Amino acid sequence: MTMHMNTDAIVKLDGVVKQFGTFTAVERVDFEIGRGEFLAIMGSSGCGKTTTLRMLAGLDDPTEGDIWLDGERVNGKATWDRDTPMVWQSLALFPFLTVQENVEFSLKMRGVGKTERIARARNWLDKMQILEFADRNISQLSGGQRQRVALARALVTEPKILLLDEPLSALDAHLKVRMQAVLSSLQKDLGITFVYVTHSMSEAFSMADRVVIMSRGKIEQIGSPQEIYHAPRNRFVAEFLGSSNIFTGRLVEKSGDDWLVETVHGRFAVTASNAPAKSLGDAVTFTVSAENMHISPEGAHTPGIRAKVVGEEFVGATAIVFLETETGEELKVQKSHVELTSVNLHPGSTLNLHWESHSCHVLPGE
Amino acid sequence: MTRSRPSLFSLVLSLPLLIWQVAFFLFPLIFLVAISFWTVRNFQMTPDLNFGNWDRILTRGTFWDAYARTAMLATASAALTSAIAFPAAYAISFKLSERAKQWLVFVLIIPFFTSYLVRVYSLQVFLSDAGIINAFLDMFGIGPFLMLNTTFGTLVGMVTLCLPLVILLQVFSLNFVNRDFVEAAHNLRCGRLRTVLAVIVPSARVGLVIAALFAFILSFGDFVSPLYLGGGNPPTLSIMITDITKSGQQWPRAAVVALMMIGTLLTVAFGAITYAYKERGK
Repeated sequence: MTMHMNTDAIVKLDGVVKQFGTFTAVERVDFEIGRGEFLAIMGSSGCGKTTTLRMLAGLDDPTEGDIWLDGERVNGKATWDRDTPMVWQSLALFPFLTVQENVEFSLKMRGVGKTERIARARNWLDKMQILEFADRNISQLSGGQRQRVALARALVTEPKILLLDEPLSALDAHLKVRMQAVLSSLQKDLGITFVYVTHSMSEAFSMADRVVIMSRGKIEQIGSPQEIYHAPRNRFVAEFLGSSNIFTGRLVEKSGDDWLVETVHGRFAVTASNAPAKSLGDAVTFTVSAENMHISPEGAHTPGIRAKVVGEEFVGATAIVFLETETGEELKVQKSHVELTSVNLHPGSTLNLHWESHSCHVLPGE
Repeated sequence: MTRSRPSLFSLVLSLPLLIWQVAFFLFPLIFLVAISFWTVRNFQMTPDLNFGNWDRILTRGTFWDAYARTAMLATASAALTSAIAFPAAYAISFKLSERAKQWLVFVLIIPFFTSYLVRVYSLQVFLSDAGIINAFLDMFGIGPFLMLNTTFGTLVGMVTLCLPLVILLQVFSLNFVNRDFVEAAHNLRCGRLRTVLAVIVPSARVGLVIAALFAFILSFGDFVSPLYLGGGNPPTLSIMITDITKSGQQWPRAAVVALMMIGTLLTVAFGAITYAYKERGK
């Protein structure tokens, strides 16, 4: 993906800080958003993702640092003077206006004539496949239809960038997936930049070109979903993704990329490709994703970690088995149901866990 | 869906209200309707089915003049009070901290501690020809202005009566305006002032209309301001009722005027509430 070249950034955040009183919501954030890029900002509540989006929209002003929008420094520029429409989590559709009047709203505020206004609004309603509801009251629409009205209202002025603040969080799972598809194809067709704030990994990873993971006002990692998923930068990201087992130890032997790491569970071979330089004795944290863990009955002549089954979670064609080691750490293994029939999976039963050295990923940020 | 019948418990709970309303509203209202058909002979009322009272009142120009005057005064008072109240209510609801809001709401309740009649008397001191306002203006060589015993005087009294209540009702309705609407409007290129008119007012419409309705109702039936600040001549409907009862025990005719007033208020209230809750679109 080459969408995030410096020369073609539509948004640039340069040392941006936002404080509310003594609380620092965003702490020195730098990144660029490419023209036509779908960028997701992800993190748990209070991580600063919505504040970052609001600063782009001009609803909050940075305490420090600069925000550049399409080559212009926009600090202090009111939201009504920017071209940064936003889709709210609550959607914020006006209940005192009809569907069509909602979509016409920003055109009306710009003084677009009535005939043109109606034509453009109806065109967008048509694009969003809700033209038949043009004269309806907002309260009579379903969740998905409201979502489409909110998108039409934000996009009717044909902006270069669209900001979305957890727009799908109120929808049920089925509708959420459908709206994700609508958003993805819309973004590709329009070729405009989407900045999408969410706490949902599935939303961010299924739609975004790049994902920014934030925590406590700071950026933990920026990268494509693949990069982040396969190579989390630090413990926070690995824990946030929740799909890996994290091991900490000391580097005790080293031969090129072949490392030997001593942990509380024993010594493990780690293939440290793309890992930062470490010397013997240094602390090393590595992850093994749940689906790369192997599981075998206790007593089998395999190396690895002995752990007790704590529980099992059904995830479609697979199941995630949660286990506890003798030292009390929780580990997880994700396998197909077929693979799991070969082992005794009752809570309390003891199993052996192991993995290949090349399945290990050394966290570079630790 | 079939609605379940009210339980015995809910019936018992609503009993005090029911008894009160029957005893002090419904029964007097029926009585009022009844006596509007009675006859007065030799200063004595006798039960009758006499349409003469209705005919007498409804064919008189003086009644309709008073009716129009009262309706105009009440409308002007509702409009003026709403217009003066709104900026204050907006500031309280949108611009102040929670603590400051609580204090101001408390301050707004204080006027209700004093009798309206006392407040109107004190307004006379301000509005009279040699009163405080004219004395102040005189220092700059302006005036004196005739304010007491004018429509202006009546309106000052009515607005003073209604203002605290209207501000409170407006504040409560503005507090319920979704703050996202305001930001969304700004984000959709709607400036500050325009957002107030295009988004906040329509969002708070129900409360604003009901606040204005209260001002109308209070002013329409007000007797004190038109008499003590407006001079009482020409009369409003309330003044007319007292005049009629004083002259020859004409309670039946006064009942006709009162019923016309109640009918008007019911119509206005119904119209206002229908308008307030009307939804856009199909």
